[in-house]
Amino acid sequence: MIESVLVAEQRPSANVVALPARNRKLDQWICYWSIPFFYSAFSLIFVVLGGIMPPQSPTASPAEIVAYITRPDLSVGMALLALTLGLASLSSGVIVVQMKRMEGVSPVLPYAYLAALAVAGVPGCLFPAFMFSLGALRPDYSAKIHVMLYDFGFLSFVGSLGCFIVQYLVFAIAIFLDRRGIFPRWLAYFTIWALVTELVAVPVWVTRTGAFAWNGMLSFWLGTAIFVGWEFSLCICLHRAIKDQPLGELAQGATSV
Amino acid sequence: MNTRDQSICLWLVPFFGALFLVGFRACPQFFLSMSPTMTAEQVATFYRDNLGAIRTSMILLNVIGIGFLPFFMVIVAQMMRMATPSRAFAYSYLSAAASGGTLFALANLAWLNAAARPERDPQLTMLLNDLGWLSLVAPVGFIIAQNLCLALSIYMDARPKPVFPHWVGHFNVVTALLMGPGAFAIVHKSGPLAWNGWLSLWVRMATFAVYVAVMFLVARSAIKEQTVEESFSVPPGVVA
Repeated sequence: MIESVLVAEQRPSANVVALPARNRKLDQWICYWSIPFFYSAFSLIFVVLGGIMPPQSPTASPAEIVAYITRPDLSVGMALLALTLGLASLSSGVIVVQMKRMEGVSPVLPYAYLAALAVAGVPGCLFPAFMFSLGALRPDYSAKIHVMLYDFGFLSFVGSLGCFIVQYLVFAIAIFLDRRGIFPRWLAYFTIWALVTELVAVPVWVTRTGAFAWNGMLSFWLGTAIFVGWEFSLCICLHRAIKDQPLGELAQGATSV
Repeated sequence: MNTRDQSICLWLVPFFGALFLVGFRACPQFFLSMSPTMTAEQVATFYRDNLGAIRTSMILLNVIGIGFLPFFMVIVAQMMRMATPSRAFAYSYLSAAASGGTLFALANLAWLNAAARPERDPQLTMLLNDLGWLSLVAPVGFIIAQNLCLALSIYMDARPKPVFPHWVGHFNVVTALLMGPGAFAIVHKSGPLAWNGWLSLWVRMATFAVYVAVMFLVARSAIKEQTVEESFSVPPGVVA
């Protein structure tokens, strides 16, 4: 019995997929390219179909709100979001792999990053999608309900702050502690700016006009501009981190990263 | 490494699976006859007329609804045994499973709240009922991400004897495709894509049931394999 198992282990089998060197990072590259793919879908859904970015006005009249929320385009956009939101998990997967390569960082920070984003997807993205979907599905709700769905949709979309704050916080701390320079330090500073934009969005919960409203110059436009810049920078740094990763770390056998 | 913990999580599947069937059986009319075309009055009347059965089944589903999560973590542990270059897909799978699990809990809360105060304004009962159904049927993206990550890992597993056989990868791709149409319950109130349509609801529920059953069997073999393998391997730290 023992011998037969050992022999089976050693014998080259037809099932062996010998991964050539250039493919040794294929899993990470698939996760990586899911990011631009996801954000392209995201732009189509939120900008083109949904009209959610830039947001509609917080001071719209009930008639305008009903007209906005019952558009068929909006529900098509939300259906596409329901279909593709899972791709966000793939970006967490590859970022965790790279964070686990850091020196002087225990798995605590990458796992916190993973957990924070697993939480964030629902309140920050899917829940607003439900609110808009409900409105679009039912033109026959009373106007009062449409107004509540509209507020709830935009406020949870722009105003889900804590999950992203934790994501940015643990990511920045990990970069500062890392002695190996997996990600450059400037990305950590940029991440702190992204964190600050979440705090700048706090007033969306109490004001409906001006720069701090949910469609305001600071709460929405500044926050979005910094977020887009941050996401681009992350993509550039992540690309470099994967590219520079020594092949020796990528085991053919069971791996620990 | 001991595989007993994985076996325990594995055998939670038939246990919770049976309770799921009891939960659905406790109020079959709920799953058979709630249509998105019902008016607010009809929805409110339905909740009033079936209050006991809806509460019984929804409370049970509340208690057991997240019961498959330990099993999904068995799959994560098996993905980590695979000879893939990194664990990127295993972490992605873990994240998607956690996000997806919250959705069933959310759907259940919406239905239970609709049933909690049957004399509520019918418009609000309809709103809660709609929220429940959309949360159950539409957000298929997470389970699709799980299926695709697992399929890709299986295809990339370079072990001489792969952790899961190759066909399990194809099986996961097919599962992802059959789950997809549910997303369009957001757009359609009648026909096969509505939340009570044969494609959005029944194909999807049947696919999920078959998926869990098949994955239970292949995960059981994988754990057995792991037990045999580790009883012959040299304990870590003995060889340099």
